[in-house]
Amino acid sequence: MSILRSTRRTLFLYRRLFSTQLKAILEYQTDFFIMIISAVLTQLLGIVFLWVVYNRIPDINGWTFWEVVFMYAMIYLTEGFGSLFFEGTWRLGGLVNRGELDVMLLRPVSPILQVLANGIGMNGIGNIVIGFIMIGQALTKVDLHWSFGKLVIAILLIITAVAIRVSINLAANTSAFWIKNAGNAFPIMIHNLGEFAKYPITIFSMGIQLLVAVLVPFAFVSFFPAYYLFDKSTSPWIWLAPPVAAIYCGAVAYLLFRIGLRKYESAGN
Amino acid sequence: MNAWLRLSRSWRAYSSLATRSMQNTLAYRLSYVVNFASSFVLLIAMYALWNAIYAGREELAGMSWAQMKTYLIISFISNSLLSYYSETRISGKILDGSVSADLLKPLDFQKARLAETLGSTVIEGGLTVIITATVLAAASGIFKPDFIHSLLFILSVLASLLVKFGIVYIAGLLCFWSTGSLGIVWARMAVTSLFSGALVPLSFFPSWLEKLSLVLPFQGIVHTPASIYLEEVNVWGALGLLALQCAWVCVLWLCGKLMWSWAVRQITIHGG
Repeated sequence: MSILRSTRRTLFLYRRLFSTQLKAILEYQTDFFIMIISAVLTQLLGIVFLWVVYNRIPDINGWTFWEVVFMYAMIYLTEGFGSLFFEGTWRLGGLVNRGELDVMLLRPVSPILQVLANGIGMNGIGNIVIGFIMIGQALTKVDLHWSFGKLVIAILLIITAVAIRVSINLAANTSAFWIKNAGNAFPIMIHNLGEFAKYPITIFSMGIQLLVAVLVPFAFVSFFPAYYLFDKSTSPWIWLAPPVAAIYCGAVAYLLFRIGLRKYESAGN
Repeated sequence: MNAWLRLSRSWRAYSSLATRSMQNTLAYRLSYVVNFASSFVLLIAMYALWNAIYAGREELAGMSWAQMKTYLIISFISNSLLSYYSETRISGKILDGSVSADLLKPLDFQKARLAETLGSTVIEGGLTVIITATVLAAASGIFKPDFIHSLLFILSVLASLLVKFGIVYIAGLLCFWSTGSLGIVWARMAVTSLFSGALVPLSFFPSWLEKLSLVLPFQGIVHTPASIYLEEVNVWGALGLLALQCAWVCVLWLCGKLMWSWAVRQITIHGG
């Protein structure tokens, strides 16, 4: 009962925080459209790349055009959800450096929730729309045997992919508690590791495979879902791996945030 | 005599700006290292991907795997000559209003920004070149051009830097009309990456897209230096490409100048 109530309260608070941010953003309409258009452009670029390459060759390591498009789209889509609803993770560094986290610590609301809802990236809308279109295209263009169970699992895999992505973002950005540098590029570096997960990870060396499958598990956002949905695996239980990875990532991010917060000492004056 | 004095004085002003920006870059060396590492990650990803694409194939679009490997490294060098920070500094100035302080200085805005950009490039670009040149020398199966082509290649890399500055400057000025910069920066990066040959060598494009790319200025950033390095053109051809790059540098510079005089009237500065 109390868990239900606290979840409801969290959702309510998140909605309130989100809508305040939204009002602030809608003040600048040109910027809003430019952001969406540029996000779409950036994504189309990746597709142009695949299209140009697949015009010349039938498959990469056994993976066809639409299968790789699916993986691309999973990376874009989760990035979109991350920007639109949880852009605040990227602002954690600024909050820590300017000592503005103090304000959040004084309120009787979970600081993680406030950090997550501390911004909206409108470019996310472009990512989400294009991402869903590409996923839809990929799943219909490849001949798949659908069943009710598989559909439910597909939806579950998208949800866990978003959870993994956001947790990795949050975990990477907690580095701001340790690296006190205004232009902390560490989170961007972690973010860039997502590039590896746009392609079948089996084409990479063992070290890179371990990196994106274990240490920074981007592979569970795109590669493993594709592996399951396109029936590349002999084991029917492979779909269980992404949800487990999501729980692992969430726990690590939460722990890092807690440990970092204990190190936080505000900005002196 | 008077003209000389003025010239030397303005040279001193711009070179001190360049030095300042160089020192600034040195002060943030950790962030350079992390930036370099993160774009290196992308290079490794592309390398492995192309390796898989070339598996079992001799050549694609007229390029062998050895040429492709070399191409990837050349395009990496051309792209890292200007760091993300340099690319966003101009738009940043306009967005936070600090451009108003520049308006008060007796310096030409465009030349001052070029001086700053070149200043940080000496450090960032220099380091990148040293690191990648070491990798190039150590790696096997990488194409090495003859002396003349190497020389022309270095010149075209310098020209490519100026072309890129021209594009970055114009895109930066666009921020006078919008209120956020990130969108414009991303759009510019996407367009540049597609038409410069950074995404994929232009010869991979369908012919209409390849023709389109060749009439745009972006090709001067990656495609031109890479074709000279790979000796896809002879010495005269290379000189022609260099001349084309220089022509684009002038055109972009003039466009930037025109746009500045027009844009400066759009200025809105917050607070009073």
